[in-house]
Amino acid sequence: MKPRVAFFDFTGCEGCQLEVLNFNLEIVDLIGAVDIVEFREASSDHSDEYDIAFIEGSQTTDRDVERIQKIRERAKILVALGACSCTGGVNALKNRFSMEENLKVVYGDSAKLYTTIPTRPTSAYVKVDAFIHGCPPNRNEVIRLVKCLLTGKKFELYHDPVCVECKLAENICAFERGEFCLGPVTRGGCNAVCVTGGRKCWGCRAPVDEPNVNSEKELLARYGLTVDDMLMQLKIFNGALEVSK
Amino acid sequence: MQNRVISKKDLAGFVDDLIKTKAAGEVIGIKAKDDKFNFGTLKNAAELRLDYDIALLPPKKYFFPQIETVLKYEFGATPKVEPVVDDKAMCLVGVHPFDIRGILLFDAVYGGANPDANLLMKRRNSTIIGVDCLTPNPKSFAASMGTAVTDEGFDLMLTDIGGDYFVTVGTTKGDSLIKKAKTRDATPADQEKRDKVRKDTLKKYQVTLKMKADEIPALLDANWESKVFNDKAATCFSCGSCVMVCPTCVCFDVQDDPALNLKGGERYRRWDGCMLTEFAKVASGENFREHKEQRFRHRMYRKGKYLLERYKYLGCVGCGRCAIACLAQIASPAETFNLIKEGK
Amino acid sequence: MVMQLSAKQSLHLPRIAELIRVEALSDREKVFEFKFDDGKELGQMPGQFVEISIFGVGEAPISVTSSPTHKGSFELAVRATGSVTNKLHTLDKGAKVGIRGPFGNGFPIQTLKGKDILFVAGGIGLFPLRSLINYVLDNRKDFGEVNTLFGCRSPQERLFIGQLAEWNSCKDMCFLETVDRCADDSWSGNVGVITTLFPKVSFDPAKTYAIVVGPPIMYRFVIAECLKKGLADDHIIMSLERRMKCGVGKCGHCQINGLYCCQEGPVFTYAQVKSLKEAV
Repeated sequence: MKPRVAFFDFTGCEGCQLEVLNFNLEIVDLIGAVDIVEFREASSDHSDEYDIAFIEGSQTTDRDVERIQKIRERAKILVALGACSCTGGVNALKNRFSMEENLKVVYGDSAKLYTTIPTRPTSAYVKVDAFIHGCPPNRNEVIRLVKCLLTGKKFELYHDPVCVECKLAENICAFERGEFCLGPVTRGGCNAVCVTGGRKCWGCRAPVDEPNVNSEKELLARYGLTVDDMLMQLKIFNGALEVSK
Repeated sequence: MQNRVISKKDLAGFVDDLIKTKAAGEVIGIKAKDDKFNFGTLKNAAELRLDYDIALLPPKKYFFPQIETVLKYEFGATPKVEPVVDDKAMCLVGVHPFDIRGILLFDAVYGGANPDANLLMKRRNSTIIGVDCLTPNPKSFAASMGTAVTDEGFDLMLTDIGGDYFVTVGTTKGDSLIKKAKTRDATPADQEKRDKVRKDTLKKYQVTLKMKADEIPALLDANWESKVFNDKAATCFSCGSCVMVCPTCVCFDVQDDPALNLKGGERYRRWDGCMLTEFAKVASGENFREHKEQRFRHRMYRKGKYLLERYKYLGCVGCGRCAIACLAQIASPAETFNLIKEGK
Repeated sequence: MVMQLSAKQSLHLPRIAELIRVEALSDREKVFEFKFDDGKELGQMPGQFVEISIFGVGEAPISVTSSPTHKGSFELAVRATGSVTNKLHTLDKGAKVGIRGPFGNGFPIQTLKGKDILFVAGGIGLFPLRSLINYVLDNRKDFGEVNTLFGCRSPQERLFIGQLAEWNSCKDMCFLETVDRCADDSWSGNVGVITTLFPKVSFDPAKTYAIVVGPPIMYRFVIAECLKKGLADDHIIMSLERRMKCGVGKCGHCQINGLYCCQEGPVFTYAQVKSLKEAV
């Protein structure tokens, strides 16, 4: 029987789901390989049993927390898809302010009708079996994960920093262009898409296992930047992670 | 074989003819990429930038692609497995001597015992037109490694001797190619000019090794415990940039990629390197070079000793790419060897 | 320089083999017996390894546990650890896999001929060693006295139990076994780490070669014991584990200093290992 796959949407921009839909021709093969039972962006077919639950977005209300726990109970494999679910993502920027202040800024006079809690990654509430990092996640990684599940291979996170794929892509180093790039301390698997596109790495795929923070500091100093500059940049996508000085 | 002299205009004509006639296969040349240079398919001779300092990636990528499919298979009661070898003919124009030395190292590693069809069949169908590097990159130290000039590994070698290029003919294949171009026979005076240009260029290298290259193995033998390795590795990002841009890094990983329809799949190899954290990790979880100083030292020994002992070619050609790419500014083998030599 | 080659000679191309028998050895280990579709022999020497392919998953280096004296098929004993080995554990009789090899140097049979042998196996170190032990037993007259010591952590982790019983009653060699610990009364044999078996065997260090295969921690203690008994450095032989990805000396993953474990190894003498800073 084909594995039943569901996509669940929490707080986020739904860009992860769009990225999955962007598979073009491969989406056909994907649909052939799995039964998609819940996918807000693409279908209205709902189901309560699933082999793989992809979680998009972070949990930012008490209701979210209850919902993710229920999903976990029904899913054989739970996958955090994208930066918001993996690390809190951009949503975690709100953690720098008090929740009351956030409600007031967003909802103004209606603030009292809403509740909110600090953004935390999905793994803070339930066991996550696999992470697909990135904002947006790389669709090839979603496909790789599905292939692993289909063939019984263990899905392993790409462990090398962005620099590896960036060099393979024959890019001119963003530092040589005078940019401050988080590539050396950020987990790759994205084909260095931002640098290839003429930009720099913003660290959306979370730090590598052994980021060398000391040399990052040295590097910062050489570019006239401070650790705070880097942390500000790193926190854009990783605000809910403990990123220490 | 008779060496020749060709005018810059006629060289352009020669390259355009190669592109048009495909006499030596697809023509690949050194081209500008923003303010840097890189090898790519040539559309016309005007794209060719023989005055370059260094290519972003060494030309090894044409014989040992970043990612290369080596097997295709179909699942089934008995899997059908086919080897994949792409061996289309290629003509590389504008390869620097130190990069040629890098290719020769690849020939030694991938030839010899257990010859590798994927690399050797591409090499067999390739033509190399080199060019002497007259504007070395400030981080290059090819002169110290004895690789700024080469007398092997090319079909033709170009040297800018002012208005014209001196053409050193290396093989009969090169000879028959250049015979189709408008050239004149090189005179002893031309050859003197070429030799002087080469000699003058050696002085342009800003980084120098404080020993002879052949003293490196003994230096390393005596300094396994040197604290230089620890000092340098302390700021290593383990980002792999140094090994990804290296013309003498020969290592790879092998992975399977099944198709989503589960009818089959392919196996590919992809560049890998000993500076990356998981390179020496085994399935049980043990990592035989767990610490970055162990990895750093291993790389230096590869560059200065191990490859030489195994393949008769030093594992470093002094191109300087690693030093350019390394954000922590620790990757240059010349710098490490010098520090050890100075007892620092 | 460039010799005549064709794609058919690809180093990556495996031969297809059929799984003809699977037997569980413990919770984590199974032994798999294969025969090649083309009917040919593997042609291995004891101590060599193969790269086994499960198409769609990948390749893994596995030592051959059967002796070359056993014809028509070969056995791989495998602990489920990574992707390939876990997938292998799900396969049934009749499944087809790819095999490349045999690779590596293997144990130095010629050197061992006419000599006394002390086999020391710890845990799954028995897998590669079993090939050589059975080879020696099948060519018994070519070798001198043989002592075999086997240790594992608990009675539940004993492997090839039928084979161990055979060796135990075998007149051709002295076989001793121990377990590190035993919580219940299921085991009446020796208890204690493998070095506690050393005082129970006697051998002439000048004529004896010790062949030691086990986990890294075991090497340290067993080598010390061998040296104490008077064995010379080059009379202690061991097999090392590394990540042998290609098996043909190209990919670089298995290097120990300047050596390639898949080419010059995986079998090394202690004399070699001592000079290799990265070996143990």
